[in-house]
Amino acid sequence: MDTAMDTAMKETAISMQGISKYYKFYEKEIDRAKEIFTGKPFYQKIEALKETSLDVSKGEVLGVIGQNGAGKSTLLKVLSRTLLPSTGEIEINGRVAALLELGASFHPEMTGKENVYLSGAIQGLNTKDIDRIYGEVIDFADIGDFINRPVKTYSSGMFVRLAFAIATHIDPEILIIDEALSVGDGAFSRKSFDRIMDFKDAGKTILFCSHSMYQVEVLCDRVVWLENGSIRKMGNPVEVITEYTELLRMAAPKEESIASTNQLEKENFQNELDEKKVKNIPSIRKVQVSADGVLGKVHKINSEKSNLEVSVIFDVGEGVPLASVAVAISRGDGRIITSAGSVNDGVALTTNDSGQGVAKILFPKLPLLRGNYFLDVALLCEKGIHLYENVRQAAEFNVEQKGLERGIVKLPHEWLD
Amino acid sequence: MSLIFGYTRNIVRGLLTPLESVVRNKSLYWMLVQRDLLNRTSGTVLGKVWPFVQPAMQILGYWFLFGVIFSMRSIDRGPDYLSYLLTGMLPWLCAAEILSRSTVMFREFAPLYRRNPFPLEILPLLIMTIPCLVYGAVYFVMNLFLGGLDKALFSLVVMPLFILWLMPLTLLFAVLGLFVRDFTQAIPFLLMMILFLTPILYFPTMLPEGVRQVIWINPFSDLMAIVHGLVEGSEYTWLNVVRPFAIWLLLLGPAWLIFRRSIPHIREVL
Repeated sequence: MDTAMDTAMKETAISMQGISKYYKFYEKEIDRAKEIFTGKPFYQKIEALKETSLDVSKGEVLGVIGQNGAGKSTLLKVLSRTLLPSTGEIEINGRVAALLELGASFHPEMTGKENVYLSGAIQGLNTKDIDRIYGEVIDFADIGDFINRPVKTYSSGMFVRLAFAIATHIDPEILIIDEALSVGDGAFSRKSFDRIMDFKDAGKTILFCSHSMYQVEVLCDRVVWLENGSIRKMGNPVEVITEYTELLRMAAPKEESIASTNQLEKENFQNELDEKKVKNIPSIRKVQVSADGVLGKVHKINSEKSNLEVSVIFDVGEGVPLASVAVAISRGDGRIITSAGSVNDGVALTTNDSGQGVAKILFPKLPLLRGNYFLDVALLCEKGIHLYENVRQAAEFNVEQKGLERGIVKLPHEWLD
Repeated sequence: MSLIFGYTRNIVRGLLTPLESVVRNKSLYWMLVQRDLLNRTSGTVLGKVWPFVQPAMQILGYWFLFGVIFSMRSIDRGPDYLSYLLTGMLPWLCAAEILSRSTVMFREFAPLYRRNPFPLEILPLLIMTIPCLVYGAVYFVMNLFLGGLDKALFSLVVMPLFILWLMPLTLLFAVLGLFVRDFTQAIPFLLMMILFLTPILYFPTMLPEGVRQVIWINPFSDLMAIVHGLVEGSEYTWLNVVRPFAIWLLLLGPAWLIFRRSIPHIREVL
């Protein structure tokens, strides 16, 4: 019996039983001191996490989703042991690396090398352990002679490279990621993404919290949806995400809800994008959109008649695996009507000797109904997860129709006898 | 009975838990000590000499004021004023630095633990280490010159003794400094008053008879009597030992309990 239980525990990376976390609100700041000195409560509870139980198996990639204030950050902080739970028990089997606030423990006056040792020691490594990983850390961070200079002299890019290298080289069994699947700029962005994917491929346990439902669905084996500090639903990513996004649409006023949820994804997307305006990484050179053979930025489309062709000319940097391309058609409020991606469609893109490629896609007899639509284009990694660059509103369509159909798309149909 | 048991347990834990944590996290502790030293000397021309120069300059200032300008002399005892001043002043400067820093300790180290699992219980010992090493080294060398090796060896006991005694006050001041902001503002005045009410700058025999008994309410007076006894061989009574020891015993248990209680609040406040 004991052996069976031991085996079960060995297979469990994280076991949370009845975990609650409430923040204490004090009317006056001195009330907190009164409580500490007398042991009597002077606070009002603000519950961020309520009686939450959760087991995460070793090697599992668990997605954590939920609206702002749902308790996601609190859960991650409790699991990374930066916050103590108010009640309940947690058992964590293995070293945890949390990519929450990279470089938070860096000392500006100390050199990069000294900070590697300090950060390692804070993570519980002894000097011998750090000696062992030190070479790999500096190789990965690739900051040259700066490793022997004070961290205060680093650029923000170098800072985050070193911090990421340390966090991911302490040989964690459990990785906690909040939003960003990559850090830094240029080639390092891809390198850091690959590093995280290596953890997944190596069967490490990953907790991934994100507002990007696409990335959660692609990466995670299971998804937990938090709402008001409790688990609303847990299970298969497709099921949970479908219900979650549907609820977001239903919960708030229609147009506003769609706009706000998409806005958040857009902002996250844009933030990533802003950091990618650098050289030597795959990039979109040109997007050409033609409707019925006429090139342009704004197109007049006849519903069910016009053929839409999109050509994406892109550059792939040296030594980078082939990229993939995705296009999406959306409404002005940001709601995506449809999308298509080369990875999903099983299309392998090719490039010429100078690393340039062209992806072409045709939407025949576009079945959109009356209204304004926009075309977005994205260049992604060969797995279709890591975003190199995207072009928002690469083209605009004004769709006209002859019939009286209502809605956004005309589905193929027939009337039966 | 359970009250006494709980009280005793808190005393033992208050003493052993920080020590155990330092041993368990010795790599981290040692790196933070080096970082602490670096913090003090970074960007200065004299570098690592400064921690040693600072106490020497402070003592020089006090000696000039009281020894030269006010021409302080002992009425009924052997050692001259400078020797007396140095014997008491260095441990006091060490204690004052530790107490003063303990009030800002949690804020100062916040970047280290705010987003990281961190053994907070090592912080009180950490802030004691550099003052203990620096003042201890200066104290040893000074006593070696002033009184020879015997006196210097006795002086080695003084700083660890002081640090041990300061443990409950350091724990309490750290909590008060973070949660009662006014306390941090009041601490320079409080330390100055303790200095004036302790026979450090003056000989106890210089006080009027009536006042002379009052200074023994202050446990630092007892500690100074022990320090002068150990280093200079002057007389001290068993009361000088029992009083501070009793206060230490009374304070350590509650101080540790309060420190432990404050830990869940610390990250929330910051």
